[in-house]
Amino acid sequence: MKNNIFTTLLLLISFSSIKAQQIPVIIVGGTVHIGNGKIINNGYVAFDSGMFVFVDSVMRNSYKNATIIDAKGKHIYPGLFLLNTYLGLNEIDAVRATRDYQETGEINPNVRALIAYNTDSRVVPTAKFNGITYLQVVPQGGLVSGTSCVVKTEAYNWEDAVVNEDGIHMNWPEVNHYQKNEEQQKRLADQLVSLNTLIAEARQYQYKSVTNKTNLRLQAMQAIINQTRVLYVHAQSAKAILETIEFIKQNQPLKAVIVTGSNAHLVIDELKTANIPVIINLIHSLPNRNHHDIDQPFKTVAQLFNKGVTVSIGFSGSWESRNVMYTAGTCAAYGINKEQALQLITENAAKITGNQQQLGTIEAGKNATLIISEGDVLDMKESKLTHLFINGETCDLENSQTELYKKYSKRYGIEAK
Amino acid sequence: MRLLTLYATILLLPFALKAQTTFNVNGPVNPLMEYTAYTHATVFINPNTVLNNATILVKQGKVESVTTDGTVPKNAIEVNLRGKTVYPSFIDLYSNYGVNMPQPIKNKSFGEQFNSNKAGAYAWNEALKPEVNAAAYFNYNQNEASELRSKGFAVVLTGLQDGICRGTTSLVTTSQQEPHYNILKNNVTSSFSFSKGTSAQPYPSSLMGSVALLRQTYYDEIWYNKQEKEKNLSLVAFGNLVKLPAIFDAGNKQNVLRAAVIAKEFNANYIIKTNGDDYQRLQEIKQNNFPLIVPVNFPKAYKINDAFDADLISTSDLKHWELAPANLYFLWKNNIKFCITSQGCKEQEFLNNLRKAVSYGLPKNEALKALTQTPASLIGASNLGEIKKDALANFIICNGDLFDEETDILEMVIQGKRHTISYGNSLKLADEYKINSNITLIIKKQLAIIDADTFKLKNSLQGAVAHFILDGKSLITYQASATLVDSSNYPYTIKKLTGFTKNTDKSISLWDANASSNPNKKKENNTTTKLLSDSLIWFPFNDFGSNTLAKQQKVLFKNATVWTNEELGISSQTDVIIADGKITAVGKNLSCKDCEVIDAAGKHLTNGIIDEHSHIAITHGVNEGTQAVTSEVRIGDAVNADDINIYRQLAGGVIAAQLLHGSANPIGGQSALIKLRWGLAPEKMKIENAPGYIKFALGENVKQANWGDGATTRYPQTRMGVEQVFVDAFTRAKEYEQKLKTDKTTRKDLELDALVEILNSKRFITCHSYVQSEINMLMHVADTFGFRVNTFTHILEGYKVADKMKKHGVNASTFADWWAYKYEVIDAIPHNAAILNRMGVTVAVNSDDAEMGRRLNQEAAKIIKYGNVSEEEAWKMVTLNPAKMLRIENRTGSIKAGKDADLVLWNNNPLSIYAKPEMTYVDGICYYSLSKDEKLRKQVSQTRAKLISDILQAQKDGAESQIHISELEPNYHCQDEE
Repeated sequence: MKNNIFTTLLLLISFSSIKAQQIPVIIVGGTVHIGNGKIINNGYVAFDSGMFVFVDSVMRNSYKNATIIDAKGKHIYPGLFLLNTYLGLNEIDAVRATRDYQETGEINPNVRALIAYNTDSRVVPTAKFNGITYLQVVPQGGLVSGTSCVVKTEAYNWEDAVVNEDGIHMNWPEVNHYQKNEEQQKRLADQLVSLNTLIAEARQYQYKSVTNKTNLRLQAMQAIINQTRVLYVHAQSAKAILETIEFIKQNQPLKAVIVTGSNAHLVIDELKTANIPVIINLIHSLPNRNHHDIDQPFKTVAQLFNKGVTVSIGFSGSWESRNVMYTAGTCAAYGINKEQALQLITENAAKITGNQQQLGTIEAGKNATLIISEGDVLDMKESKLTHLFINGETCDLENSQTELYKKYSKRYGIEAK
Repeated sequence: MRLLTLYATILLLPFALKAQTTFNVNGPVNPLMEYTAYTHATVFINPNTVLNNATILVKQGKVESVTTDGTVPKNAIEVNLRGKTVYPSFIDLYSNYGVNMPQPIKNKSFGEQFNSNKAGAYAWNEALKPEVNAAAYFNYNQNEASELRSKGFAVVLTGLQDGICRGTTSLVTTSQQEPHYNILKNNVTSSFSFSKGTSAQPYPSSLMGSVALLRQTYYDEIWYNKQEKEKNLSLVAFGNLVKLPAIFDAGNKQNVLRAAVIAKEFNANYIIKTNGDDYQRLQEIKQNNFPLIVPVNFPKAYKINDAFDADLISTSDLKHWELAPANLYFLWKNNIKFCITSQGCKEQEFLNNLRKAVSYGLPKNEALKALTQTPASLIGASNLGEIKKDALANFIICNGDLFDEETDILEMVIQGKRHTISYGNSLKLADEYKINSNITLIIKKQLAIIDADTFKLKNSLQGAVAHFILDGKSLITYQASATLVDSSNYPYTIKKLTGFTKNTDKSISLWDANASSNPNKKKENNTTTKLLSDSLIWFPFNDFGSNTLAKQQKVLFKNATVWTNEELGISSQTDVIIADGKITAVGKNLSCKDCEVIDAAGKHLTNGIIDEHSHIAITHGVNEGTQAVTSEVRIGDAVNADDINIYRQLAGGVIAAQLLHGSANPIGGQSALIKLRWGLAPEKMKIENAPGYIKFALGENVKQANWGDGATTRYPQTRMGVEQVFVDAFTRAKEYEQKLKTDKTTRKDLELDALVEILNSKRFITCHSYVQSEINMLMHVADTFGFRVNTFTHILEGYKVADKMKKHGVNASTFADWWAYKYEVIDAIPHNAAILNRMGVTVAVNSDDAEMGRRLNQEAAKIIKYGNVSEEEAWKMVTLNPAKMLRIENRTGSIKAGKDADLVLWNNNPLSIYAKPEMTYVDGICYYSLSKDEKLRKQVSQTRAKLISDILQAQKDGAESQIHISELEPNYHCQDEE
């Protein structure tokens, strides 16, 4: 009973898992990538009770009973973020029964990714295997697709998994260029009206309604109005990005983030001036038009980053989004350095989702979520994890795929290296 | 009431006049003189000969004589054409004028329509209509005829424009009369296309399917005459078609080349109708030596409001806007025989564009020839195309030089019958008019001034609103008036304009203006031409194309880390020499006299990547998934050399790919093995003497599991059925092979031919596969029929049957880490490649995706991550191993003297995420390099900037514009249904 109360308390305080870190850990000798652009060679990272205690190039404290991990020649990173995924809401793309990411209807701010997030997915552990410790799980479709959440990749249930419910996702209405016609234009205009109306109604909703009736959608939107959650606006074409910037301006005050892709390079100055954080989705894409530079999708992030825009990267999709760290690696090959590329999927991702106080970097006082890799985690050639800790707890890297690997290697009498 | 009736009679009269011979006549017959003398005309009797002050005598619809002595027989009606010019009327070989054929009834019931719904013993496929005779569906059509006449066409070759085989065409005139007299000749040519048209049958759904169906029909016709069992009216008709010249409606320039390939196979006499983009592949089209029918429907200026609109227009579309008017000039300059069709041009647009083509360098006589003599000679019509004795009296009467933009066609004489087109400009404006010493009206452009039927002033003078009066007669409110004309020259010049101006206080001021000539204004010279240089043509005609093709180089790569894929392994500080497209030496401290030396210190030199499973560079459908077995279709018939992904993949270090048919059916189509020779024509992309390959597929795709609840009729629907499709196909193939040897009347079957090749190890299978049961099954089928499966592609559960695969001797071409996208890949693991590799199976990592195709080096690196294979082994999975699977390892896949110089120089370890190709060589030709790419980027952006500003200027100058968004070629994956 006592134990139960204790764990409940812990849950309330730090959302940590049931089994909290009991023994302090000190990692010795690795290259520490802080996540904020800085690096410490031959560093020391210590964490206790789920929190980083110190990170330095010299040993500062000693814990008598601490577990020492020799990380010589290895690389230590903050746990990686995967933004804009629907992993956990989808198990097998082609099997309808396993798809839980898109609710019917156009305006769904009140549907919550969190309560449908499948902690028992067979797919999520394969993302964790690559170093992903936090997912931003995003509902899809419609004009307002729902409320996303940030979850840990190791958990027993969604209450255990949750970090926060970080924002509501809006899909900017765009015309399909190949069927531009009057009917579509009209639909587009109607959709814009309904989005503006949604924000206006939500603002009024905080006052007493004439009818005195509850509206679940407007109630959900209060988190946007009072800026406790982020309004993520997904926009694809350059024109849509400009319209989005204007929409955000018109509807201030609100906390907004633009989620876009490889058309962003057409409006870099406008994005900079608007001072809105940006998530660039799917770096490993083909250029949008034949005349765009063949490496445009690879360098868009760097172009924004170097202009001073707060930028992170996303990977909309399911199983394939486990490769998000390699898309960050690509950014490092096209205009920013490796530490900056890491920052995209650590500090910046934490910042954008409102978790920078406790997550995103290896700094004393933050949650001890980190990974140790044999080589550069952004380069598939050598990114191979040896350890993964979430809130100071070591996590299992095995998954259904590694099990099958071992099972059949054994059958053939070969080594599962 | 009485008046109205009378009016109606007059209108009908011209049509009734001709009625005779077999027709019943209501009332007295009304034979006419049918003898006319057109006098004092300037006559082009053919494109190169002009007679002044000539007389054309026309008797009963034919030319009796063309003379310059001016005598007019007493019994002939004289038509004085003083000041007018006469041309032979035009002939259009590509038309469906007046032809209307009812369509067969479409299936109303559920499911696919596998066979033709046409009643009778006709072809099995509705896209084949060889029995159609255009004349059977031809009728005089007033609107269409009138439009053709207004463009100058008296004769067109008309036919059904629907389907792949469209039957025969008829030569008809556009004269206003019963069809009985319009039709000059039936069964003039046959008619073909690549489009299945209105047919409701699913087959063929792809371009390669269209090609296959047409080829099979040619072979069926040969077979038909050797047998007696089957009666088939379509094949009988086809037998007549092959004796005729054929009009082949091909389309774009690559389809023109495709039509030529078919023509050569069947020794057919094609006249190929193009899209007007022929200039983009001039040399190949010229080599084919088929006459062309070319439209002049040049693109209008694109509407551009802002930079984002501009971004949606492709560079090739911008460039086509610039170059299309010069197409005919380029064809002429290259001695390519062509005629011109008005297809795609509405009314006045045709003459305007024809004139534009002339102003872009096509000589006037060549333009005339392409509209008269050339089409006449192509269909062997000696009585058409010239104004000469015994020719049909078909000519155009103009009020000037036809190629002058101020000239109007006044009349069309067709079969001796006069048709008024317009009254033309009897008046024209002087260069300028002086209202007083301060105000001068300058006439910038002489458009048609007076539209005769309404007497409306068409052009506006300097934008002011005024009043127009002619001969004291008040006309519609306009801006200027003429009270005097100078009649010394035709058309008459308006000497004086009177007008009024509305003042701001709403009062009106009257003014007069007298004609004066402007000494500074040069008479617009029609011969000024805008000659475009052929250096504006890019190969391919797409972004990052170039006006010069890269050439083979002799290169010495110095001090590279060379990934040899040979015994030497990964060798640092090593030199490689290439010359004449081959690797000539690999070693340390090499020297070469006349080589370009590339300092490769700190860099990595590898063989280029070979993608065993690719769907780039394919046009109009990657799947012919409409039947379970389509081994007759060939990706090689649909290679798209313009695909931008070729260039993008060169930039990712790819040098060759197997272009595979999709996975929609158990036995798909034949592959094309290409090297990425960016800029060359489709046929030149194909690897010379490469062995034949074919796509097979298993599992969810072929049983249409994820195609929606409607797709439940095509066999197979289960994995059980999939096996039976294979057993059935190979059983048929074996029987067929036997029959071919013993029975000479055996029908040549393109589908079974390909399967027989498999049985005899002359064609090799790449089979799309996922789960272990089906992999096992196909190996058993192969064992039973005595062949070997060459490659399992995807093969995501290959690790479960690695031992069996090793025993069968099959290769594995897999994804690095794909899984969980459908149920059958639930057990896929990224360690698959490593297990198979360890078990001794030859393993490749492929893309099946245009995007991933340019990062295959990274996909190979994942095998190190997941399965801990060595770097060298991982690298072989995207180079030497796929080369082995494709049986081209004797020429590419490793770095060894004597092999093709297919090399990539990387700035980093090629397996690293940070690696970028700095140079990519195919056959010793550098098709991509960082520095070239930088130049091409500049070329692209400068070209776009110039053309966009040209278009904005054209819009300012009043050019018509259209909203335009360039379509992007789809990027195919193997499960794509089209």
